[in-house]
Amino acid sequence: MSQKHGTWDWMLAVDFFFSGMGAAMLLFAGIAEFVLENGYLSTIGIFAGAIFIMIGSGILIFELGRPFQSWRVFMKPTTLMSFGAWNMTIAIGAGILLGTTWINLFPWFGIIWIRKILALVCIITGFIVAAYPGLLLAMNKARPFWTGSGMVVIFFVSSLLTGLAGYMVCGLFGDASPVIYGIFPYVAAGLCFLQLVVWISYILSKTSGISDREAITTERWIKGNYAAPFKIGVLLIGTVVPFILFVVPNLIVVVIASLLTILGGLIMRNLVIYAGQDRTWLPGEIEYRSKLPHGDEAFLQKVWTKKI
Amino acid sequence: MARYVMVIDTRKCIACHACTVACRVNNELPIDMIYNPVTTVGPEGKFPHLRMLHIPLLCMHCGNAPCVSVCPTGASIQRNDGIVWIDEKKCVSCKACIMACPYGARISNDQTGTVQKCDFCKDERVDQGFVPYCVQTCHQNARIFGDIEDTESEVFRLINTSKTKGRLLEDLGTEPGVYYLY
Repeated sequence: MSQKHGTWDWMLAVDFFFSGMGAAMLLFAGIAEFVLENGYLSTIGIFAGAIFIMIGSGILIFELGRPFQSWRVFMKPTTLMSFGAWNMTIAIGAGILLGTTWINLFPWFGIIWIRKILALVCIITGFIVAAYPGLLLAMNKARPFWTGSGMVVIFFVSSLLTGLAGYMVCGLFGDASPVIYGIFPYVAAGLCFLQLVVWISYILSKTSGISDREAITTERWIKGNYAAPFKIGVLLIGTVVPFILFVVPNLIVVVIASLLTILGGLIMRNLVIYAGQDRTWLPGEIEYRSKLPHGDEAFLQKVWTKKI
Repeated sequence: MARYVMVIDTRKCIACHACTVACRVNNELPIDMIYNPVTTVGPEGKFPHLRMLHIPLLCMHCGNAPCVSVCPTGASIQRNDGIVWIDEKKCVSCKACIMACPYGARISNDQTGTVQKCDFCKDERVDQGFVPYCVQTCHQNARIFGDIEDTESEVFRLINTSKTKGRLLEDLGTEPGVYYLY
C-alpha cells in the first residue's frame, strides 16, 4: 500500500523558502557590490545565502521519488524546473566564491574585477531563483489558486523580505555593513506593506473570480481551514507586526521583526503549496475518490498480506 | 500520421467498471492505483425527469500536453501519434507533471519512485494493431478508439457528426484527445 496520488507538499515549500531567502541574500550582496562605496554587506550573510540555497536544493532532492537520479533534473534546461535547478547550482557556486573574496586567506582576496563578475552572476541567478518558484506555480493552469502572474509577485516580494531579514539576523554573528541596521529595516518595512497589499489584492482578485474554480478554491483562505494560519501567521505575525517593529530604531526589536518575517514566509509557502492540492475537479471525481480506500484499511491490509 | 483519440459515449456507459478492472488487471497496477476511474454525476432533477451520467476518465493524451512540457528530465514523452507516455528510466518523480495535469491522470508510485499513467496500452495493444484493454472490454461499446486523421474511422465519423459532444476542461487549452458524447 505504498502507492499514492502524490502531490507537492511541505518539502517543496521548505525548499522554496530556503532557496528564495538565500537567492535574495545573494541578490542584495551583488547589488551592494555595485551600489555601496566599499561593496561590502556581510561575509556571513553571503555565505548564509549560498548555504540556504544548498539546504533548499538538498530538501528538493529528498523530495524526489529517486533521489540518486536527481542529476536527471538538469537534463532539459528548456523546462522551468530544470532552468531553476541550473540557476540554483550556479548561484550556490557564485555565492560561495563571492564570500571568499572577502576573506584574506584566499589568493583572490581584494581583486575587485573578480568580485564584480561574481556579484553580477549573483544578481542574475539570485533574481531568477527568487522569482522562479512563483512562476513554476503560476504556470500550472490546473491549479486554480496558483494560476496567474500574481503568484510570481508574491514569491518575489516574500523572497526579498526574508532575504533582508536574513541579513539582519546574520549581522548579529559577524561584521556587518552599517546599511544592514541603518537602511534595511526601512526597506523591509516597505516590503511588508507591499506584501500586505499584494496578498489582499491577490485574494480579492481570486474571489471576484476569473473563473468559478478560482473563487471556490480561495474560499478556504477567507473562512475555511487556511483562514486562521493565513490571517494570523502570514498577515499578522509575518507582515503587519514586523511592519511596525521594523521602524523601531532598536537592534533587538529589528531582529525580532526579522525572525517574524522569516516565520511568516515559511508559513506562507506551506499554505500556498498545500492550496495547490485543490485541482480543478472533474465531474463526479470528488465523490468517486472519497469512496476509495486510503491505503490503511484493516481489511485491505489483511487481504494484501494474506493474513485472513 | 495517425492521431489516436478515444470517443466515450456516456449514453451507453452503465458504470459497470469493467474497463477499470481490465486496465488494472492487464497493466498489473498496484492495489490503490487506477488509471481510468468511472465517476457518476447525479441522479439529478425531479421524477420523472431524472438524469444520471457516468463519465469514464483517463489520460486525455492532450494535443497540447502540459505534463510533457514541464518534465525536467524528458521522461514525459508524446509520440507522433499523440500517445503520451512515461519513460520510467528517466522519471525521478519530481511530480511536476502531476501538478500540471488538469485531469489527475498521473499517479506517483512510491515503490518504484516514478510516476505512472495510462498510455493507451501502446506496447501490448496499439502497436500490435489492437485497441486498448479498456476498449476491448467495454461490452456496451461506450469506448471507441481510433485514428482521427483517418476519415474512414469510426472516431472520425462520431466526432464530426455528433452534435452533442464535448471535451473536459477545454478552456485550459490542453486540446484533450478524449471526446465525450452525451
